Amino acid sequence: MTDIPAHLPHRYPFLLVDRVLEREPGVRVVAEKLVTNGEPYLQGHFEGRPLVPGVLLLEMLAQAGGFLEAGTLHDAAIFLAGVKDARFRAPAFPGDRLRLEVTSEGAFAGLMKLKGAVTCEDRELCTATLLVKRL
Amino acid sequence: MSDLKLRVKEMIIERLKLEGMTPDQIEDQAPLFGDGLGLDSIDALELVLGIEQVFGVKIEDEAAGLKAFKSVQALTDFIAEHTKG
Repeated sequence: MTDIPAHLPHRYPFLLVDRVLEREPGVRVVAEKLVTNGEPYLQGHFEGRPLVPGVLLLEMLAQAGGFLEAGTLHDAAIFLAGVKDARFRAPAFPGDRLRLEVTSEGAFAGLMKLKGAVTCEDRELCTATLLVKRL
Repeated sequence: MSDLKLRVKEMIIERLKLEGMTPDQIEDQAPLFGDGLGLDSIDALELVLGIEQVFGVKIEDEAAGLKAFKSVQALTDFIAEHTKG
C-alpha cells in the first residue's frame, strides 16, 4: 500500500488519488479515486446535478502520473506542461469508483509524456496524453 | 538530398505537426531550437520519441540531445552513426 500523502504534496480539497493499486515507477501506474457527494466542486458543478468536471479527470491522471516518479514529490517542482488529444466520453458521478491508469511514453530533459485513461466499471470516461515537466 | 536526411525531415514535420511545411523548406544547417525552426523542450521530447520509433536510435540524455539537435544535418549524422552495423 502506497502512502499517498507521503508521496504527493497535494492535500484536501485537491488530493484526487485515494489508492494506488499497481505501480512500476517509470512505466505504469494504476490508481483509484472514489467520487463522493462531499467533493466541494460538486456543489456548484452542477446544482442538483453533480458531475465531476472533465478538467479534474485530467488532474486525477496527472496526480496518478506522479507515482511514476520513484521518489516523493514533496520538494520537487513538477508541473503539467501539456495536454493533448483529450477526450471525454462519459461523465463521472458521485459514487463512481474511478480507475486511473497511466503509462509512460518516454521522457527527455525533465519532461515526461504520459498516456492516461479514466475508466469506471470498464466504461472509458476519459483518455488523454499529458506532458509533465520536472524542474 | 540524401534519403536519410529526407526521412529525418519528414519525421520532424510529421511528429511536430508542422502543417504546410515541406522537407525542402527546412534548411540542413538551420538550428532546430531557438532561431532556426524555433522548437521548444516539448518538441524536443516529441523528436526524441519519434527518432526512437522511426529510426530505432535512442537519445539518452541532454548532452546527446545538444549534439543531435544542432541542425537537421547534425541529426542525420547522429542517426547514421548510431544505426551503423
